[in-house]
Amino acid sequence: MNTVRKSIFPSAQDTWESIAARELSSSSTEEGIANLQSWNLHVFARPPAPAESPRAGNPILPSDILFIEPPLV
Amino acid sequence: MDLVIRNGNIIDGSGLPSYLGDIAINDGRIVKVGNVADTGTTEIDAQGKVVSPGFIDPHTHFDAQLLWDGAAKPAIEHGVTTIVPGNCSLSLAPLKADHRMKLVGMFNQIEEMPFKAFEEGVVWDWESFEEFITRIKKDLTINVAPLVGHSVLRLWVMGNESMHRTATEQETQAMQALLKECLDAGAIGLSTSFVDMDETLQPVPSRYADAAELDALCAVLGQHNRILQVVHEFYDNDITVARIDQLADISRKHKITTTLSPLFVNNDNFAGVDQAIARVVEQNEAGARVWPQVQTRPIDISFTFSVPSLLFIRLRTWYAVMRFGTPETIMAAFSDEEQRKQLVAEASNMMGLWQRLILRQVKTEANQQYVGKNLAEIAELRGTDALNVMIDLSLEEDLDAHFLSADMGHNNDDKVGSLLRHPHVMIGASDGGAHILSFSTYGDTGYLFSRFVRENHSMSIEEAVKKITSDTADIWAIPQRGLLKSGYVADVTIFDADLIDRGPEYYVQDVPGDGHRYVRDSAGVETVIIGGAVAYTQQGGYTDERRGEIVGGRA
Repeated sequence: MNTVRKSIFPSAQDTWESIAARELSSSSTEEGIANLQSWNLHVFARPPAPAESPRAGNPILPSDILFIEPPLV
Repeated sequence: MDLVIRNGNIIDGSGLPSYLGDIAINDGRIVKVGNVADTGTTEIDAQGKVVSPGFIDPHTHFDAQLLWDGAAKPAIEHGVTTIVPGNCSLSLAPLKADHRMKLVGMFNQIEEMPFKAFEEGVVWDWESFEEFITRIKKDLTINVAPLVGHSVLRLWVMGNESMHRTATEQETQAMQALLKECLDAGAIGLSTSFVDMDETLQPVPSRYADAAELDALCAVLGQHNRILQVVHEFYDNDITVARIDQLADISRKHKITTTLSPLFVNNDNFAGVDQAIARVVEQNEAGARVWPQVQTRPIDISFTFSVPSLLFIRLRTWYAVMRFGTPETIMAAFSDEEQRKQLVAEASNMMGLWQRLILRQVKTEANQQYVGKNLAEIAELRGTDALNVMIDLSLEEDLDAHFLSADMGHNNDDKVGSLLRHPHVMIGASDGGAHILSFSTYGDTGYLFSRFVRENHSMSIEEAVKKITSDTADIWAIPQRGLLKSGYVADVTIFDADLIDRGPEYYVQDVPGDGHRYVRDSAGVETVIIGGAVAYTQQGGYTDERRGEIVGGRA
């Protein structure tokens, strides 16, 4: 198979922080979060879940695909 | 013999060259293809015409329309004899009474089906999938291969929690049991969505499912040899490729067919669609069954400001005004100096789009002079800019000014043609019965022949027929349809190869509750036979025959 951009399926409770800590452990959490957000604008630009939701403030959905590396050149 | 079609140019759906011959039909089945000596009770002279299997449309949203129109008009007059509703995680069953209005809201948001159509066109006399099937079977002219929607399964099992969280193990098992019940009742597969939003602009329930839940449901599909349909993040190429990989893994694991729709040609990035197709080929050669659906027509969107339009979905202020407003509040927003300033500011960086919009319809005599002109031309005549003209005309017309954004993409004929012909592509994604206030979703089959067979020579007529008949039937495991073959169900379309086409798009009031929609008439389709009976003729229109069946796929 040709190489494609690396991605993951988030778990139900995942946040930017938990994914950065797990998948980008060689970076600081802040840097990891910033990278994740810039690689996943389709999620970052989404309005977060409303305040009354159990996922309040978190835009990541369990069905999302999240990239853990920048676009391939 | 009940019916004999004579002297036709037979294109049997296999892709083999056409030949002259007759077709004999008895008891709803094809009994002979070739030279027929017997006389039929009814005889059709097809000399000079193509006789082909009925076309199959694999991506529709006729769910609601089937409750008041068992012919799914105007699908049949475009040669379509079988439709697949229930795509994109949305079906009308199974559905508890408490959730009806929630689903109506989702259909309104996603498919633009007006609330009043449900109020005045639907008698809610079902809950289970089987009851829904029984309900629509009462008056069915067209064949229906219904998908069951993932969002609906979640709603049934989890109630409002389906819109907030992942399922527990117990809830997943309940969904599996419910899916099995739907498949046993005639569902051809499961649909899910990774992109759609509900009427409150929150994700639809299927988007709160994790990969494990989808996997569990696909295990049930595997036990029944049924298909999974997804609508994916088609606007992003990398995500599309990742979804292709996800579907390939599911397909191999559960030995099921999967399909994703739509796949568009982006005129600014041909490499994107090439990469997606290359990935499909790679995965399918590695044992997966992943079928991207490609539509034939270019993207055109029409709108008024009286209903929310897809065109404004990324302009949050505009979309909120349209989505949550009444005609009065929308007019007020356009009239209020401050709000208008805010709207203009948000949309002003898309001036090129507004300038290209064409004013297609107004109701006042004063503005008829502008119909057919683009907004840049009208703006020049009025001494303003296109964005303000759009607002002004909408106010002057009480929001009944209709604008057309034509050729927004997927309109490079060479590229689209090569994609449609590709052996790993399914022709589909018409969205028939959906987006009824944005564009006509009818006539893609005629457009395939007129544009990609006759004009652009992207494929032969035999290839085109195969693509929308036996190929589709094979992919969806629809038994005994898609070929003109002895023993097969007699779904037949007779058309003029030189004339078949889609007609111009027009606005018509034929939706319950005095609702409107955009439609297209067909050209060149002479006779459509469903289940052995003539359902439509160009001369006489629709007949009273009701031979449509529920086509549930083969196990």
